[in-house]
Amino acid sequence: MTPPPPHGLIAWTAWIESTAFSIWMRESPSVFAFPIILSFHTIGMGLVAGINGAVALRILGIGPSVPVGEMKRFLPIMWFGFWLNAVSGVALLIGYPTKALTNPLFYLKLGLVAAALVVVGLVNREVLDRYGDRPSAAIPVSVRAKQLAVAALVFWAGVITAGRLLAYTYRHLMADM
Amino acid sequence: MAGFQVWLVSTFSSVHPIATMMRTKWGWPIAESIHFIGLSLLVGCIGVFDLRLLGVGKRIPVAALHKLIPWGLTGYAINATSGLMFLLTEPDQYIYNPSFHFKLLFMTIAGVNALTFYVTVYRRTTAPGAPADAPRFAKVIAATSLSMWIAVIVCGRLLTFYRPGPCPRSGPGFLAECIPAKKGPGSIAQ
Repeated sequence: MTPPPPHGLIAWTAWIESTAFSIWMRESPSVFAFPIILSFHTIGMGLVAGINGAVALRILGIGPSVPVGEMKRFLPIMWFGFWLNAVSGVALLIGYPTKALTNPLFYLKLGLVAAALVVVGLVNREVLDRYGDRPSAAIPVSVRAKQLAVAALVFWAGVITAGRLLAYTYRHLMADM
Repeated sequence: MAGFQVWLVSTFSSVHPIATMMRTKWGWPIAESIHFIGLSLLVGCIGVFDLRLLGVGKRIPVAALHKLIPWGLTGYAINATSGLMFLLTEPDQYIYNPSFHFKLLFMTIAGVNALTFYVTVYRRTTAPGAPADAPRFAKVIAATSLSMWIAVIVCGRLLTFYRPGPCPRSGPGFLAECIPAKKGPGSIAQ
């Protein structure tokens, strides 16, 4: 292992690692500690990427007689998944802060989440709200809307890939290693 | 049953090309990423359809939304393929893992549940002019589907935490949840 980078980050992550919750996340033998929190993070992933993916597929022309704007009804469940992942993600981060915060892939993942959220906002405002509840088979979906749908699929697939690769890549597992 | 599991492990272990590819630096991580993208496609498309049957987005005709199902099945196919690649590479980590047994059980229930939907209420829910509110039985099927896919995800994630170790001297039970010692010439005793 190469020595930790010489800045305050490691001092800070070392402190997080010494907290009771962080120790519980790493060392508790309970299935309700790390394993279930990781499972919640995966369920949330399925809801967020899956529902946004289904909306994107509709915009791209799958299910042409589904009123585009009505796909909005599934978004509250998507947001439930998002907050589930924000909370479970923070818990996972508290368990291994040095591992995540010294890995450039972690920042790439956060950047991709941010980009994907911007696209969710644009799809909402420019596509779902605009089409309302009109039966949309007759209304052509704009090229711009389709570009946003493709961007959503690419960004969420990127978030998943970056997240998955985090399990296989790290520079420093713990502050004192 | 333990004999069947030992046979499965040795059969899967004898398929080498996939395992060789999976053991390259990026093989396993890429297959995992694909498995999770397939998961999202599956629970996104099938889950949205289930939610509609449960009453979310009642202005969407059920038949119209059913066009998403082939994409959910595409997710299933992606995951069956990538899942088989994991199985062929590390068979004993799955065949003897209780979490994998439950994962297969919940996948089977989800499959039977989906078939039940098609032979019972599919026509009634997708007929032209079908009422926006799906029949109670369709809702039971939708709730079962959502619960089973969530259970499949949880079992999949728990695989790592229930890795089987070597069997005790008394040997494997009916459902082997430990790795039996290899027998025969040239084997490594465990």
